[in-house]
Amino acid sequence: MSGRLPWVVKYRPRRVDEVVGQDEAKRVLREWLGQWAKGRIPEKRAALLYGPPGVGKTSLVEALARELDFDVLELNASDYRRKADIERTVGVAAGKKPLFKRGLIILMDEVDGIDPKADEGGLEALLGIVKKTINPIVFTANDPWKEQLRPLRDLCLMVEFKELSEGALMALLKRICDSERIYCDEGALRYIVEKSMGDARAAINDLQAVAEGYGKVTLDLVRAIVKGRDKTLNIWRTLNNIFYARQAWMAKKAVTQSEEDYESLITWLSDSIPKKYEDPLDLYRAYEALARATLQLSRGKTTGEWSLLSYVFDLMGPGVAFARISGGISREKYGFPEKVRLAVQLKSVREVREKLAEQLSRSILASKSTIKNEVIPYMMVIFRNESNPLMAARLALGYRLDKEMIKFLAGPNADNVIKAIEKIKRAKPEEVKVEVERQPKAQPKPPAKEGREERRPRTTGGLDRFIKK
Amino acid sequence: MSLAELLWVEKYRPRSLDEIVNQREVVERLKVFVKERSMPHLLFAGPPGTGKTTAAHALAHDLYGENYRQYVLELNASDERGINVIREKVKEFARSRAPEGIPFKIVLLDEADNMTGDAQQALRRLMELYTASTRFILLANYPSKIIDPIQSRCAFFRFTPLSRDDVVGRLRYIAEREAVEYDDEALDTIYEISEGDMRKAINILQAAAAMGRVTVEAVFKVVGMARPREVREMIKLALSGDFTKAREVMRKLMLEYGLSGEDVVRQIHREIFSSELNIPEELRVMIADYLGEIHFRLVEGSDDDIQLSALIAWLALMGKRLK
Repeated sequence: MSGRLPWVVKYRPRRVDEVVGQDEAKRVLREWLGQWAKGRIPEKRAALLYGPPGVGKTSLVEALARELDFDVLELNASDYRRKADIERTVGVAAGKKPLFKRGLIILMDEVDGIDPKADEGGLEALLGIVKKTINPIVFTANDPWKEQLRPLRDLCLMVEFKELSEGALMALLKRICDSERIYCDEGALRYIVEKSMGDARAAINDLQAVAEGYGKVTLDLVRAIVKGRDKTLNIWRTLNNIFYARQAWMAKKAVTQSEEDYESLITWLSDSIPKKYEDPLDLYRAYEALARATLQLSRGKTTGEWSLLSYVFDLMGPGVAFARISGGISREKYGFPEKVRLAVQLKSVREVREKLAEQLSRSILASKSTIKNEVIPYMMVIFRNESNPLMAARLALGYRLDKEMIKFLAGPNADNVIKAIEKIKRAKPEEVKVEVERQPKAQPKPPAKEGREERRPRTTGGLDRFIKK
Repeated sequence: MSLAELLWVEKYRPRSLDEIVNQREVVERLKVFVKERSMPHLLFAGPPGTGKTTAAHALAHDLYGENYRQYVLELNASDERGINVIREKVKEFARSRAPEGIPFKIVLLDEADNMTGDAQQALRRLMELYTASTRFILLANYPSKIIDPIQSRCAFFRFTPLSRDDVVGRLRYIAEREAVEYDDEALDTIYEISEGDMRKAINILQAAAAMGRVTVEAVFKVVGMARPREVREMIKLALSGDFTKAREVMRKLMLEYGLSGEDVVRQIHREIFSSELNIPEELRVMIADYLGEIHFRLVEGSDDDIQLSALIAWLALMGKRLK
């Protein structure tokens, strides 16, 4: 996945009309840059574009620059904060005429990130440059109303960007789905849009995470993957940060900062490892790490020794990340946890087996585990015998097996057995009844004893209490 | 011919001590208890399918008559949730007074050797506490796993694997009553496979009979089918390096047969020493070694899907090194 172009880049607007919404901002900014293009220097030599993230501030500047044949020098304010840095970069660019294009836009992102105390002199330096620049300077900010920005505000053309409407975002996502030829259902897109809170970048990232991972975008998948956006990372980014970690602490941080609970992250990892690692040694090392993580997890749970959790993270994150010592990493998509899908079915099959063992153990006089291991396998042979379902049907009647149990025992042959039962019942309803009544009466037993495997804590529920404190 | 049918292990199980034709020494001693209407705590030990449970039920039947089960508390050490649950149940059961003419009630504890040492100590105290009103019959495959203080409080009964004559005789009796056609060699084969385990022998007979005439071939077919073929398939796929397919089979195995992680480990363990799996001898030992580790982790409550995935990945690695 890392090898592909992020859709936020791929679908970044080229032309001004491709920028979603923001009509007022387009008009104001085009007029202002238009003056520069004609060689005039407007009264305000800088513009401050402000609004929530992902609404098109940078995109609009780039699209306008293309339209007007301007170059763009993009600087991130958080990279150039100190006076010396600013003078060396912005200062120099502000005084030079571009060589090939009609003009140069100096675009400085996140100007509200400059800290007036820590980055002393930085803002003053900017003010000085803005007053003298011969090229347009554009600042962006999420929050332009900070006190320290007041002098800058006075010098700048203030351009507001509004949160994108849900309709506009829906249209944008649909366009991307069409052009990627990916099936997206309406509800799923609506969910993404709602969670994005008007942030197109976030919405597109989420769309890509689901679409690239699973080849389709359905509500179920979206619900599983896209969660509220705060400092935590969604599962797709978590996996990326683990599998592509360069240092151990990065992989660990990816685990501890993930919004996914640890058990669910383990299942994601379990289904992604074989997609990412191809060399058998790497594969084994990764699973061994993960397996030991689940071991520490269960020890932590059974002993209440929560400090063990730290080792769980070590093994899940760095353990999986640095399992790769001999081979490369595949670009295949991450695997949607097959196990999550299976777990529900598996639980119900095991319940049927348990119920059957319980029911049989009363009359066959053997423990449930003996029934499971020594009796049920032979019953399966009888029930799966396609040539003669009669014995199976008679046993089903004799032990009053329900449909679920018959399906469990007979597998693909279940229909045959069920038909045979119907036939017997039709032929001699009286006799069946008599025969059934002659059975030893089942003793009343306390309800629902669970088998060994169910006794262990294995659901996610109990875990939360020692994860997110 | 009746239309509803029972498993033959149940249908042909002896109901009273008189019907039991094997374990003669054991049965004779038990009959004395019935006659005297008095007995100590009992410990029945022996391999599976040698008649321990049957003898215990027959004993109770002969003591109390047809409705004997109301005077017997049946517990299974590995099915109950620990010794505390057992204690509560025994307490509850022992508290109610036995009616006139019932000298004592019976607590029948199966798989007693699956209890931990501590749990057995607690059990010993229970046995002492309620000894006025109840007798314990403990069943175990391995008597050496029963702590000495319990052994010394029990009359010990050893059940031995059934002889060829006992097993084949019983199979022939059942086959004739059920009007099953059979080859004599087939019954011999069943005996050899079952190794004196009557339950297994009768189950094989019934499954083979469901397919038609009971021949040697049918017997082998049943035995093969009773072990999920997917287990061997999974091992082979893993050793060939196809992790993904092997894991699919593993998951199918759990899904189709409802097996737990430990069940799968046990099945693999049976498979690795089979001659049908053509691998170097030292690899069998290495697999067993790692399998034991996985088994232990599962016992500790670790995730079965991931532990088995690790096992498959390890097999794939070993497979690659073999090439």
